[in-house]
Amino acid sequence: MLKFRPRSFLIFCWLGIALPGCLSSSQPDRPPGYLVVGLESNPTHLDPRYATDANSIRIGALLFNSLTRTDQNGNLQPDLAERWETIDDRTYIFHLRKGVTFHNGKPLTAADVAYTYRSILDPKNRSPKRATLQFLESVDPVGPDRVRFRLAEPYAPFLESTNLGIVPDGSRTNDGSSRQSLIGTGPFALEEFLPGERIMLKANANYWGGSPAVSGLIFKIIPDAMVRVLEFKKRNVDFLQNDIEPDMLPWLRDKAQASIQIAQGTTFQYIGMNLEHPILKHREVREALAYGIDREAIIRHLLKGLAIPATGMLSPIHWAYESSVPKFSHDPERAKRLLDQAGFHDPDGEGPLPRFKLSYKTTNLDLRRRMAEALKQQLSEVGIELEVHTFEWGTFYADIKRGNFDLYSLSWVGITDPDIYFALFHSRNIPPNGDNRGHYRNPEVDQLLEQGRRSLGVDERRVIYSEVQKILARDLPYIPLWWAKNVVLTRQGIRGFIPYPDGDLISLKNVSLSFSNPEA
Amino acid sequence: MNRYLARRLLLFLPTLFGTLTLVFFLIHLVPGDPVEVMLGETASGTDKETLRHELGLDLPLWTQYTRFLSGLALGDLGRSLYEQDSVSRLVRARFPATLELTLTAMLLALLIAFPLGIIAALKRHSWTDRLSLLFSLLGLSMPNFWLGPLLIIVFSIELGWLPVSGRGTLAHLILPSATLGMAMAAILIRMIRSALLDVLHEDYIQTARAKGLSEQKVWLKHALRNSLLSVVTIIGLQFGTLLAGSIITETIFTWPGLGRLTIQAIQTRDYPLVQGCILVIATSYLLVNLMTDIVYRLVDPRITYGK
Amino acid sequence: MANRFALFFGLAILLLLVATALLASTIAPHSPAEQNLEQDLLSTSKEHPLGTDKLGRDVLSRILYGARVSVLVGLSTVIISLLLGFVIGSVSGYFGGFLDQLLMRLVDVLMAFPGMLLAIAFTAVLGPGLHHVILALCLIGWTGYARLVRGEILALREKEFVHAAQALGGGPARVITLHMLPNLLPPLLIQSTFGMAGAIIAEGSLSFLGLGVQPPTPSWGSMLSEGRQFLLVAPHLTTYPGLAVMITVLGLNLVGDGLRDLLEKKGK
Repeated sequence: MLKFRPRSFLIFCWLGIALPGCLSSSQPDRPPGYLVVGLESNPTHLDPRYATDANSIRIGALLFNSLTRTDQNGNLQPDLAERWETIDDRTYIFHLRKGVTFHNGKPLTAADVAYTYRSILDPKNRSPKRATLQFLESVDPVGPDRVRFRLAEPYAPFLESTNLGIVPDGSRTNDGSSRQSLIGTGPFALEEFLPGERIMLKANANYWGGSPAVSGLIFKIIPDAMVRVLEFKKRNVDFLQNDIEPDMLPWLRDKAQASIQIAQGTTFQYIGMNLEHPILKHREVREALAYGIDREAIIRHLLKGLAIPATGMLSPIHWAYESSVPKFSHDPERAKRLLDQAGFHDPDGEGPLPRFKLSYKTTNLDLRRRMAEALKQQLSEVGIELEVHTFEWGTFYADIKRGNFDLYSLSWVGITDPDIYFALFHSRNIPPNGDNRGHYRNPEVDQLLEQGRRSLGVDERRVIYSEVQKILARDLPYIPLWWAKNVVLTRQGIRGFIPYPDGDLISLKNVSLSFSNPEA
Repeated sequence: MNRYLARRLLLFLPTLFGTLTLVFFLIHLVPGDPVEVMLGETASGTDKETLRHELGLDLPLWTQYTRFLSGLALGDLGRSLYEQDSVSRLVRARFPATLELTLTAMLLALLIAFPLGIIAALKRHSWTDRLSLLFSLLGLSMPNFWLGPLLIIVFSIELGWLPVSGRGTLAHLILPSATLGMAMAAILIRMIRSALLDVLHEDYIQTARAKGLSEQKVWLKHALRNSLLSVVTIIGLQFGTLLAGSIITETIFTWPGLGRLTIQAIQTRDYPLVQGCILVIATSYLLVNLMTDIVYRLVDPRITYGK
Repeated sequence: MANRFALFFGLAILLLLVATALLASTIAPHSPAEQNLEQDLLSTSKEHPLGTDKLGRDVLSRILYGARVSVLVGLSTVIISLLLGFVIGSVSGYFGGFLDQLLMRLVDVLMAFPGMLLAIAFTAVLGPGLHHVILALCLIGWTGYARLVRGEILALREKEFVHAAQALGGGPARVITLHMLPNLLPPLLIQSTFGMAGAIIAEGSLSFLGLGVQPPTPSWGSMLSEGRQFLLVAPHLTTYPGLAVMITVLGLNLVGDGLRDLLEKKGK
């Protein structure tokens, strides 16, 4: 028999390959009293002047305070501003809270507030928020604790834009190195930012609103949904919000001892349409689509009840929400009648031939794909054939922004002022000039929207936007699908988190831990 | 040998240049606009035009290409559009992690494949042979995105031996490199087995046997050496597959490497960052292949290169 | 005789696979697209022998129909890549010199390039879909064969029997196909069986990135990628398509090995 000693051979293998030399030092264990939050995507800019993605904004809100802040009912509350006064319809003065200091110990002054706004308005700094502040004529300190905002013209959504995080005077811009040295006034201070890996915040013991109950927060970036759940089960993650496969919830409750909080949110899912498409330009067709879709079934089965059917962009908790608009429940017969009326007859009745084909673009996320497949099935029952095309995000987004689609589905997160209608449905904002991607044109709506941003009284605006909502529900440039619910998973022993409708994480400052730290 | 090495090194640059040219034109021609991503939802048309002008994205593609090349010649990879940091710094921060992962995966694949492949060839049609076949079947039929979570469920959740994800200790490295290296191990096992079986029938082995060399010597001196030839070729080829596979493996295991950065850069159409990532990936691929070519030559001195 | 048996067993598996692909519409108990949202994630039952997926579709039927896509993607990718790779690799290895350098640099350029980016570029320009998946996989795939063929031919070029054939006035095409090909076949066969398995898996990876076959067309790869999120609550969604891939790979391997043995005996 043959004897073979593999040893010399193995040594050859070892020599042949460069040894992986760079095993970095072991990850520091979680410091005592820290809460670990799992995130699905990397926050790119915590600096409030550059933050645009949801996670950047949510973590930024823990580091920075703004003049005002939206509470969990969507109402504007004082934050760094104790109060504000309206001098005339173009001038506001904000009185700053006293005794607020930055993380570096420097007291907050009006100069910091003015600096923050001015550095966004300076085109040199390339802030993505510049366009949203175009209405500002000047921002000037009036003494150490008062700031005056002058507007170019009366502009109602102005107050909403005071939810911008304030940075200290002279903070650097546009520079990767500034990432490690972000200074705010918030309940947490930045300890470490490893892009793509994790962000560590430590509690600000001198926070003007009282020190947080936890010693600090660690945001771990875990892109894969499955792995996020497994890290939670392993107790390496204590807290997860949203982006959880709904079917995993019973398992998480039973096998991973998760406490599950479910609260209604404001994220709005819709189907966008190209109104210049020869078929979709008919209002009856859009209405038929709205009746042909069985939202309830999708919500019940694919989303496991984690949403409620939507009637429009603004959710019921919004101050301008209008409830008396046409609502669309699943009614295939009516959809078929509408299509017949519009002249799109089914060539072979109940047979396989469709009335017409439409392309439906979506991203490659599992849930979005499944949604597309369910919609395809539902619409085939009224004789409409959807051709589903899934794209990688970059391609998809570029097509949508350019208005290159028949149908697509996306969602809007964190809608605050109803002036968003102006950006989405005013005829001035048809691409390439703005986000009216479906090319919706209605002079009546244009006029109402212009009026809405000029009128300063809440009641007056409510009347205007109620009219806008009614018209849009009739014209259907978007088919409303649902408002998503927020799902929060916490480990046993974590108390005090209040979910916000827009997914804000500010309530993490109130959270207390009663578990001892896990085994290393 | 020295002349050959010098020639290969000389050819290295044109290849890299070709790759970079391909990347440049591909990423610029694919639909998508970085300015949209940078300025966000609400930017006005004029702001976008201004930024496009500042970044030089409004120039003819050819001019952009020559600009890119002259920057490259000066060692300047430019600045990331979205991360607002220099590309070289971003890439340098991520590259070690990817190198660590891919090299470990390769090492693991070799460590598994050589013993299994050799034993399979020695004891052909035995149960060890069948076992190695089964192993390579598993390796070939399980895509990374399925194998990864399965390994986590077994080794981290059920058995509790290894961490779920992340980078840090040696233990963190095991599951991702096993996931990444599994397919390579599977291919290598079959290759080694088959190469050994081929060689065993060659005349010179028979001669060696006839000369009364011990069976072990026949194996080590002749059979293995010759079977290494095809293995070396495969290693070079497979390294590219490992680099490509790292994109998915890094996403699953939350591995902070270049693969994830590349995906992110592609999604945001961050042109300079995509180019920087590909530059590094392509260079390391070409280097490994240069190395395998040299090894190839060392193993098989019969080959002459050039006249 | 054991090898003979293995070869036939492998061939039987592959025949069964092709038959499944051809007859999917008659043997599948349900339509692969027929949804029933109420009946989601069911495990094995009389009605659904392999259970149902998240949209309540019959997993067995989807696997049977999925064989079509997977066989088509696997076979066409391997055949096209193999032909292209063989021609370019043998020309490069046989003639050497400048042509060799040029072709191998082209191969290097393509190989140094992450296939994923190429696939995105492809689908972005042409749109996602089955044909473009195959095209993208071939574009990435042929280079491997080319390098393998070139390396083998480089070694064979120096062998006595090749010199003899050349001395007898054999032209390049003749020498390559008649004298070198038999020696090339074993590694090529093995590479192709891997290539086919690789193509089936790669289609899944493209689906994982949203660039594969478009829903609701089933393919094994896309079933694996879709079922992944349900590993803990409905493992059957990945187990069965995974088994289908494994059996196919087994068949390919047995046939590859068997053919190799056969050629080996003939060669002596």
